[in-house]
Amino acid sequence: MLRLLGYLLNQGVVTSKDYCAPLEDGLGLPEFSDRACAGSQCNECRSVCPTGAITVDSGENGGEVHLDLGACIGCSMCVRSCPQETLVNSKKTAVARLSRDDLVISNVDRKVPLSLSRSTESKSLFYRSIACRVVSTGCSACDLEVAACGNSIFDMERFGIHVVASPRFADVLLVTGPVPKAMHDALKSCYEAMAEPRRVIAVGTCATSGGLHRGGYAEANGVDSLLPVDLYIPGCPPHPWSIIDGVKKVMDGRQA
Amino acid sequence: MKVERREVALSERAETIRQLLHSDGNRLGLISSINGSQLISLVLSPNEGTAVCWESPLQTKQYHSLVPVISEAHWFERTMWDMFGLEPENHPRLKHNLLHEAYPSSLLPLKLGFDSSVDGKSEGTGDNTGSGAGNDSGEGIVNLNGRDYKPMAVRGDGIYEIPVGPIHAGIIEPGHFRFSCLGEVIFNLEIRLGYVHRGVEKRLCEVPWRKQRFLVEAAASDSAAAYALAHSIAIESLFDRSVPQKAEFLRTISLEIERAAMHINDLGGLAGDIGYLAISSTMGRLRGVALSMAEQLTGSRLQRNFICPGGVIFDPCLKLRDIKNSAHQLRMSLQPVMTFFMSNEVARDRMENIGKVSARLTADFGLVGPAGRASGERYDARQHFKHGVYPRIRVPVAVETDGDVLSRAKVRIAELDTSLFLIEQLIDGLPEGDALVKLPDSLPKNAAGLGIVEAHRGELIHLVFTDGEGKCSRYAIKDPSVNNWTGLAIAVRNNLVSDFPLCNKSFGLSYSGHDL
Ligand code: SF4
Ligand code: SF4
Repeated sequence: MLRLLGYLLNQGVVTSKDYCAPLEDGLGLPEFSDRACAGSQCNECRSVCPTGAITVDSGENGGEVHLDLGACIGCSMCVRSCPQETLVNSKKTAVARLSRDDLVISNVDRKVPLSLSRSTESKSLFYRSIACRVVSTGCSACDLEVAACGNSIFDMERFGIHVVASPRFADVLLVTGPVPKAMHDALKSCYEAMAEPRRVIAVGTCATSGGLHRGGYAEANGVDSLLPVDLYIPGCPPHPWSIIDGVKKVMDGRQA
Repeated sequence: MKVERREVALSERAETIRQLLHSDGNRLGLISSINGSQLISLVLSPNEGTAVCWESPLQTKQYHSLVPVISEAHWFERTMWDMFGLEPENHPRLKHNLLHEAYPSSLLPLKLGFDSSVDGKSEGTGDNTGSGAGNDSGEGIVNLNGRDYKPMAVRGDGIYEIPVGPIHAGIIEPGHFRFSCLGEVIFNLEIRLGYVHRGVEKRLCEVPWRKQRFLVEAAASDSAAAYALAHSIAIESLFDRSVPQKAEFLRTISLEIERAAMHINDLGGLAGDIGYLAISSTMGRLRGVALSMAEQLTGSRLQRNFICPGGVIFDPCLKLRDIKNSAHQLRMSLQPVMTFFMSNEVARDRMENIGKVSARLTADFGLVGPAGRASGERYDARQHFKHGVYPRIRVPVAVETDGDVLSRAKVRIAELDTSLFLIEQLIDGLPEGDALVKLPDSLPKNAAGLGIVEAHRGELIHLVFTDGEGKCSRYAIKDPSVNNWTGLAIAVRNNLVSDFPLCNKSFGLSYSGHDL
């Protein structure tokens, strides 16, 4: 017992102090650089994208690219294939957005850079602590990353974020996965069991848009085809920091 | 690897397969169909490292169930009923596996002629002949009669049921468990899956083959490296191509990092369920080390988009030294932690003689991976089938014989150590050269390709068929969990309800890999 305590003390503090630090080795979701796109005759990024997240049009000053982060699995194939280096790896983790439209970024109109977080002046209902119920409907990677938020490296409890085992105690519903048909009713009943005020967060690209599974017979088209979603966290799977940052944005949000 | 295709008449199928499986260590790989007009039975010969796919053409949708002679066929036949509408006669307990009451009864996703359209609306072939798309629209119409599901009823004085799920209390995938108990003791566990069925196998036949790998990795992302590897081998075998040595090494490193990370995760989960939080939190931290190795190698914590048909996407040579150091340090830090874990009386007491599976049932139901090896089964695909540097480079097989939770933990601990050691060795011995070869643009016609990989849960199989136009006509995946879910149901019998979480963790099964 004492030896174990000694061992534990020896490990020191491993909790990461760098909130949403840029990724060292990870690539993160793609974003745009300042360099001009070659236009629709190139179309490389669009043709390699496995989820159809990209559209390319020819504009006045070169190509106009639109990228839907909500459909992007971060495979980085577009970045690798882009001859102009218009697309680059963002290496960012603060990627959550309050609306589905905000997830569509473009190289022309870059009003919402990836790192921007929406803070609000007055305090919200959940500003001290928030209880999350996690419902998984996906491939388990998103769940592993949500679980990793609770380990001693990310330690989300220090921000007042707890995971609870029942929707009755929960302020926010974290949904992972594309919600295939067999989970529709279960997810809805979980939501109904939550007391107001309640929030819904779509964790991961599948939950945001259905991702790779969208449009199939299993009707796995994401959470917002069933429930009102307050925040989207893209990524396949999102980094633990992305998840913590997303939940914190809901904690900081005002509309009660 | 190449797969030999042979035909066996339906009337002789049961006897042929039975005899094959009873000779020289042959194993059942999977049973399925290509488009509902035939049965395929994949028989593996680990000793030779070969596989034969036995095809039996079907005239009707009925066939004789193999289950009375080969127990492990039971799960495959249930799946075929859902996906193709094929009805086994004399299956002792036929029930749906993947498609339940949420789906219209006419839905037969993999049957010839079924078309899943792109905007979320689907049409099923309602007729039994399977010719052309039917007109039963799938919109919200639920045919309860067609998708009835009756869990096995256990009757007797004082017997009651505990239903759990599909949504679980923790952060895990969905599934439904129904325990029939007397007092605190579990008599029977009925496992109902299919909640994360996303139609992956169908979608794999709809996308261009170069985009299949993204879907394959996302099918069960905790095994992304293993899935990508099995996929790559299957595609390469269609082309009859091999990849450069360097790629084989890098793929193996990736696979072993994944194994290490998931074994750490499972062992940590086990410690957590016992209540040994010092160990579980330490394992949480150490898993972080394994994930950073993964990130250094591939740019992704779960090793997405690295292994691809033809080799690996890029050559991470600059990072290898760091990865080797981390592997070494991780191995050193794990040793004292595992000693603390295994020498703790209370922890041992919770694991010893709990959730036992006998060697006989392990063989009958074909349990694979650590779950099989904890019950005396020596099978490890790394010894037999070509993937990465295996079987050329031999790894020691960790085998235990007690078949309890403790044995499954011990097997993982031994494998974890081997994996980390192997990563160091492989990095030291990394050959020079390219890590990617270009493959042709179109798949060969009327071909079959096979990939067998030892994933962290056990034997993973990808079997791919192409049609006369060189399109992928069937992509069959057999996750190790398909074999092992039955193992869990066997293990919990006559155990306490409160030991279920431990038994469950000791198997560490995948829902999404099973449901697809
Ligand atoms: S990184 Fe995203 S946008 Fe780029 S190719 Fe991959 S999925 Fe498409
Ligand atoms: S977003 Fe990616 S990681 Fe998350 S459930 Fe979907 S496939 Fe899995």
